[in-house]
Amino acid sequence: MGTENEDEFERELRQAFARRPAPPSLKRKLMERGVLKMKRAAPAERSFVPWQRLAASVAIAAVLAGGIEWHSLDQRRKEEAAREQVFLALRITSHALDQMNARLAAHHRGGQDSQY
Amino acid sequence: MAHNWQPDFEQLVDQHQSMVFSIALRMTGDRGLAEEIAQDVFMEMDRNLTRLESPAHACFWLRRVAVNRSADALRRRKVRGMDLWVEMEDVHGAQPEERSSPLSTRLEQLLATLPEAQRAALVLRYQEDLSPEEIAATLEAPLATVKSHLQRGLKLLRAKAQSHLKEFVRGN
Repeated sequence: MGTENEDEFERELRQAFARRPAPPSLKRKLMERGVLKMKRAAPAERSFVPWQRLAASVAIAAVLAGGIEWHSLDQRRKEEAAREQVFLALRITSHALDQMNARLAAHHRGGQDSQY
Repeated sequence: MAHNWQPDFEQLVDQHQSMVFSIALRMTGDRGLAEEIAQDVFMEMDRNLTRLESPAHACFWLRRVAVNRSADALRRRKVRGMDLWVEMEDVHGAQPEERSSPLSTRLEQLLATLPEAQRAALVLRYQEDLSPEEIAATLEAPLATVKSHLQRGLKLLRAKAQSHLKEFVRGN
Protein backbone atom coordinates (compact mmCIF):
# COMPACT_ATOMS: atom_id res chain seq x y z
CA MET A 1 0.00 0.00 0.00
CA GLY A 2 1.54 3.34 -1.06
CA THR A 3 1.46 6.81 0.43
CA GLU A 4 -1.65 7.73 -1.53
CA ASN A 5 -3.53 4.74 -0.09
CA GLU A 6 -2.26 5.60 3.37
CA ASP A 7 -3.58 9.14 3.05
CA GLU A 8 -6.88 7.84 1.76
CA PHE A 9 -7.12 5.36 4.63
CA GLU A 10 -6.24 8.02 7.19
CA ARG A 11 -8.86 10.33 5.69
CA GLU A 12 -11.41 7.56 6.03
CA LEU A 13 -10.33 7.06 9.63
CA ARG A 14 -10.82 10.78 10.37
CA GLN A 15 -14.32 10.62 8.93
CA ALA A 16 -15.14 7.37 10.69
CA PHE A 17 -13.76 8.65 14.00
CA ALA A 18 -15.62 11.96 14.04
CA ARG A 19 -16.99 12.74 17.48
CA ARG A 20 -20.36 11.16 18.23
CA PRO A 21 -23.01 13.22 20.04
CA ALA A 22 -23.29 12.33 23.69
CA PRO A 23 -26.63 10.78 24.68
CA PRO A 24 -29.01 13.35 26.23
CA SER A 25 -29.23 11.12 29.30
CA LEU A 26 -25.60 12.00 30.16
CA LYS A 27 -26.42 15.59 31.09
CA ARG A 28 -29.69 14.55 32.72
CA LYS A 29 -27.86 12.05 34.93
CA LEU A 30 -25.29 14.66 35.92
CA MET A 31 -28.19 16.93 36.90
CA GLU A 32 -29.78 14.09 38.87
CA ARG A 33 -26.50 13.66 40.74
CA GLY A 34 -26.73 17.34 41.65
CA VAL A 35 -23.45 18.38 40.08
CA LEU A 36 -24.78 20.69 37.39
CA LYS A 37 -27.23 22.56 39.60
CA MET A 38 -24.65 23.09 42.33
CA LYS A 39 -21.97 24.30 39.97
CA ARG A 40 -24.32 26.69 38.23
CA ALA A 41 -24.64 28.72 41.39
CA ALA A 42 -21.05 28.37 42.55
CA PRO A 43 -19.30 30.95 40.34
CA ALA A 44 -21.97 33.54 41.12
CA GLU A 45 -21.59 32.85 44.83
CA ARG A 46 -17.83 33.08 44.63
CA SER A 47 -17.84 36.41 42.79
CA PHE A 48 -20.69 38.07 44.68
CA VAL A 49 -20.15 36.96 48.27
CA PRO A 50 -17.69 39.79 49.12
CA TRP A 51 -20.05 42.32 47.55
CA GLN A 52 -23.01 40.87 49.33
CA ARG A 53 -21.18 40.92 52.62
CA LEU A 54 -20.08 44.51 52.10
CA ALA A 55 -23.59 45.60 51.08
CA ALA A 56 -25.13 43.78 54.05
CA SER A 57 -22.60 45.37 56.45
CA VAL A 58 -23.30 48.84 55.07
CA ALA A 59 -27.06 48.27 55.27
CA ILE A 60 -26.85 46.98 58.87
CA ALA A 61 -24.59 49.89 59.88
CA ALA A 62 -26.99 52.38 58.25
CA VAL A 63 -30.00 50.84 60.00
CA LEU A 64 -28.19 50.84 63.36
CA ALA A 65 -26.99 54.43 62.94
CA GLY A 66 -30.48 55.50 61.86
CA GLY A 67 -32.01 53.72 64.85
CA ILE A 68 -29.61 55.29 67.30
CA GLU A 69 -30.13 58.74 65.76
CA TRP A 70 -33.90 58.34 65.81
CA HIS A 71 -33.76 57.10 69.40
CA SER A 72 -31.66 60.07 70.55
CA LEU A 73 -33.92 62.52 68.67
CA ASP A 74 -36.99 60.95 70.24
CA GLN A 75 -35.33 61.13 73.64
CA ARG A 76 -34.48 64.79 73.11
CA ARG A 77 -38.05 65.50 71.99
CA LYS A 78 -39.42 63.80 75.10
CA GLU A 79 -37.02 65.71 77.35
CA GLU A 80 -38.03 68.96 75.65
CA ALA A 81 -41.73 68.16 76.13
CA ALA A 82 -41.13 67.26 79.80
CA ARG A 83 -39.18 70.48 80.35
CA GLU A 84 -42.00 72.46 78.66
CA GLN A 85 -44.52 70.79 80.95
CA VAL A 86 -42.45 71.61 84.04
CA PHE A 87 -42.08 75.24 82.92
CA LEU A 88 -45.81 75.45 82.23
CA ALA A 89 -46.57 73.98 85.65
CA LEU A 90 -44.15 76.44 87.24
CA ARG A 91 -45.72 79.33 85.32
CA ILE A 92 -49.20 78.22 86.39
CA THR A 93 -48.06 77.85 89.99
CA SER A 94 -46.30 81.22 89.89
CA HIS A 95 -49.39 82.84 88.39
CA ALA A 96 -51.58 81.24 91.04
CA LEU A 97 -49.23 82.39 93.79
CA ASP A 98 -49.19 85.91 92.36
CA GLN A 99 -52.98 85.96 92.36
CA MET A 100 -53.01 84.60 95.90
CA ASN A 101 -50.51 87.25 96.99
CA ALA A 102 -52.54 90.00 95.34
CA ARG A 103 -55.73 88.82 97.09
CA LEU A 104 -53.94 88.55 100.40
CA ALA A 105 -52.46 92.01 99.93
CA ALA A 106 -55.87 93.40 99.02
CA HIS A 107 -57.44 91.67 101.97
CA HIS A 108 -54.71 92.93 104.24
CA ARG A 109 -55.11 96.45 102.91
CA GLY A 110 -58.91 96.28 103.41
CA GLY A 111 -58.41 95.22 107.03
CA GLN A 112 -56.08 98.08 107.76
CA ASP A 113 -58.47 100.62 106.15
CA SER A 114 -61.35 99.49 108.32
CA GLN A 115 -59.13 99.78 111.44
CA TYR A 116 -58.32 103.41 110.82
CA MET B 1 -1.43 28.63 41.44
CA ALA B 2 -3.06 31.98 40.62
CA HIS B 3 -5.33 32.11 37.59
CA ASN B 4 -8.25 34.39 36.80
CA TRP B 5 -10.34 31.97 34.77
CA GLN B 6 -13.62 31.01 36.46
CA PRO B 7 -14.72 27.67 34.99
CA ASP B 8 -18.42 27.28 34.31
CA PHE B 9 -19.17 23.61 34.90
CA GLU B 10 -22.33 23.44 32.82
CA GLN B 11 -20.67 25.21 29.91
CA LEU B 12 -17.75 22.78 30.07
CA VAL B 13 -20.17 19.83 30.05
CA ASP B 14 -22.03 21.25 27.04
CA GLN B 15 -18.81 21.95 25.23
CA HIS B 16 -16.97 18.69 25.87
CA GLN B 17 -19.55 15.95 26.52
CA SER B 18 -19.35 14.75 22.92
CA MET B 19 -15.54 14.56 23.08
CA VAL B 20 -15.45 12.72 26.41
CA PHE B 21 -18.23 10.32 25.41
CA SER B 22 -16.62 9.57 22.01
CA ILE B 23 -13.21 8.88 23.55
CA ALA B 24 -14.78 6.51 26.08
CA LEU B 25 -16.94 4.88 23.40
CA ARG B 26 -13.99 4.20 21.09
CA MET B 27 -11.78 3.03 23.93
CA THR B 28 -14.37 0.61 25.33
CA GLY B 29 -16.69 -0.09 22.42
CA ASP B 30 -19.66 0.02 24.78
CA ARG B 31 -22.19 2.89 24.74
CA GLY B 32 -23.50 2.20 28.23
CA LEU B 33 -20.05 1.93 29.73
CA ALA B 34 -18.92 5.02 27.77
CA GLU B 35 -21.79 7.02 29.26
CA GLU B 36 -20.88 5.85 32.77
CA ILE B 37 -17.24 6.76 32.19
CA ALA B 38 -18.24 10.19 30.84
CA GLN B 39 -20.33 10.78 33.97
CA ASP B 40 -17.41 9.77 36.20
CA VAL B 41 -15.04 12.02 34.25
CA PHE B 42 -17.31 15.04 34.72
CA MET B 43 -17.85 14.18 38.40
CA GLU B 44 -14.07 14.11 38.78
CA MET B 45 -13.80 17.43 36.96
CA ASP B 46 -16.34 18.85 39.40
CA ARG B 47 -14.07 17.87 42.29
CA ASN B 48 -11.02 19.39 40.56
CA LEU B 49 -12.67 22.47 39.09
CA THR B 50 -10.49 24.93 40.97
CA ARG B 51 -7.34 23.33 39.54
CA LEU B 52 -8.33 24.03 35.95
CA GLU B 53 -6.42 27.05 34.73
CA SER B 54 -7.87 27.79 31.30
CA PRO B 55 -10.33 26.43 28.71
CA ALA B 56 -7.42 24.73 26.91
CA HIS B 57 -6.25 23.15 30.17
CA ALA B 58 -9.80 21.92 30.87
CA CYS B 59 -9.94 20.27 27.42
CA PHE B 60 -6.50 18.70 27.87
CA TRP B 61 -7.45 17.49 31.37
CA LEU B 62 -10.75 15.98 30.15
CA ARG B 63 -9.02 14.09 27.33
CA ARG B 64 -6.43 12.62 29.65
CA VAL B 65 -8.92 11.61 32.34
CA ALA B 66 -11.31 10.17 29.72
CA VAL B 67 -8.55 7.94 28.32
CA ASN B 68 -7.36 6.90 31.80
CA ARG B 69 -10.85 6.15 33.12
CA SER B 70 -11.66 4.15 29.98
CA ALA B 71 -8.48 2.10 30.46
CA ASP B 72 -9.39 1.56 34.13
CA ALA B 73 -12.89 0.41 33.15
CA LEU B 74 -11.51 -2.02 30.58
CA ARG B 75 -9.07 -3.44 33.11
CA ARG B 76 -11.87 -3.82 35.65
CA ARG B 77 -14.04 -5.69 33.21
CA LYS B 78 -11.16 -7.74 31.87
CA VAL B 79 -13.01 -8.14 28.61
CA ARG B 80 -11.36 -7.94 25.24
CA GLY B 81 -12.46 -5.08 22.94
CA MET B 82 -14.01 -7.20 20.19
CA ASP B 83 -16.05 -9.16 22.71
CA LEU B 84 -17.42 -5.90 24.05
CA TRP B 85 -18.54 -4.73 20.63
CA VAL B 86 -20.24 -8.01 19.82
CA GLU B 87 -21.77 -8.26 23.25
CA MET B 88 -22.75 -4.69 23.92
CA GLU B 89 -23.80 -3.08 20.66
CA ASP B 90 -27.11 -4.93 20.70
CA VAL B 91 -27.83 -4.04 24.31
CA HIS B 92 -26.82 -0.38 24.18
CA GLY B 93 -27.77 0.42 20.60
CA ALA B 94 -27.57 4.03 19.55
CA GLN B 95 -30.61 6.13 18.68
CA PRO B 96 -31.26 6.18 14.91
CA GLU B 97 -30.01 9.78 14.58
CA GLU B 98 -26.81 8.90 16.45
CA ARG B 99 -25.95 5.88 14.31
CA SER B 100 -22.87 6.16 12.17
CA SER B 101 -22.31 4.76 8.69
CA PRO B 102 -21.67 1.00 8.33
CA LEU B 103 -18.04 1.69 7.36
CA SER B 104 -17.52 3.86 10.45
CA THR B 105 -19.04 1.19 12.66
CA ARG B 106 -16.84 -1.52 11.17
CA LEU B 107 -13.71 0.60 11.52
CA GLU B 108 -14.63 1.30 15.14
CA GLN B 109 -15.12 -2.42 15.71
CA LEU B 110 -11.70 -3.11 14.23
CA LEU B 111 -10.19 -0.34 16.34
CA ALA B 112 -11.56 -2.06 19.45
CA THR B 113 -9.49 -5.15 18.62
CA LEU B 114 -6.19 -3.23 18.79
CA PRO B 115 -4.04 -3.17 21.93
CA GLU B 116 -5.18 -0.50 24.37
CA ALA B 117 -2.16 1.82 23.99
CA GLN B 118 -2.39 1.80 20.17
CA ARG B 119 -6.14 2.38 20.36
CA ALA B 120 -5.70 5.40 22.66
CA ALA B 121 -3.06 6.90 20.36
CA LEU B 122 -5.23 6.39 17.24
CA VAL B 123 -8.35 7.83 18.91
CA LEU B 124 -6.46 10.95 19.96
CA ARG B 125 -4.87 11.23 16.50
CA TYR B 126 -7.90 10.66 14.28
CA GLN B 127 -10.82 11.67 16.50
CA GLU B 128 -9.19 14.57 18.32
CA ASP B 129 -6.75 15.48 15.52
CA LEU B 130 -3.85 15.81 17.98
CA SER B 131 -0.21 15.82 16.93
CA PRO B 132 2.09 13.06 18.23
CA GLU B 133 3.59 15.60 20.66
CA GLU B 134 0.15 16.51 22.02
CA ILE B 135 -0.76 12.82 22.32
CA ALA B 136 2.48 12.21 24.24
CA ALA B 137 1.60 15.04 26.63
CA THR B 138 -1.97 13.77 27.06
CA LEU B 139 -0.94 10.18 27.72
CA GLU B 140 2.16 11.21 29.70
CA ALA B 141 4.21 8.91 27.48
CA PRO B 142 7.51 9.41 25.64
CA LEU B 143 7.11 10.81 22.12
CA ALA B 144 8.96 7.86 20.57
CA THR B 145 6.55 5.43 22.25
CA VAL B 146 3.55 7.36 20.98
CA LYS B 147 4.94 7.46 17.43
CA SER B 148 5.54 3.72 17.62
CA HIS B 149 1.96 3.10 18.85
CA LEU B 150 0.58 5.26 16.06
CA GLN B 151 2.66 3.54 13.38
CA ARG B 152 1.95 0.01 14.58
CA GLY B 153 -1.70 0.71 15.31
CA LEU B 154 -2.27 2.22 11.89
CA LYS B 155 -0.48 -0.68 10.20
CA LEU B 156 -2.49 -3.25 12.11
CA LEU B 157 -5.77 -1.43 11.51
CA ARG B 158 -5.02 -1.13 7.81
CA ALA B 159 -4.25 -4.82 7.56
CA LYS B 160 -7.47 -5.70 9.38
CA ALA B 161 -9.45 -3.30 7.20
CA GLN B 162 -8.02 -4.86 4.06
CA SER B 163 -9.12 -8.32 5.08
CA HIS B 164 -12.43 -7.42 6.78
CA LEU B 165 -13.74 -4.46 4.80
CA LYS B 166 -13.30 -5.65 1.24
CA GLU B 167 -16.94 -4.95 0.42
CA PHE B 168 -16.49 -1.26 1.25
CA VAL B 169 -13.27 -1.01 -0.73
CA ARG B 170 -14.96 -2.58 -3.75
CA GLY B 171 -18.03 -0.39 -3.24
CA ASN B 172 -15.89 2.76 -3.42
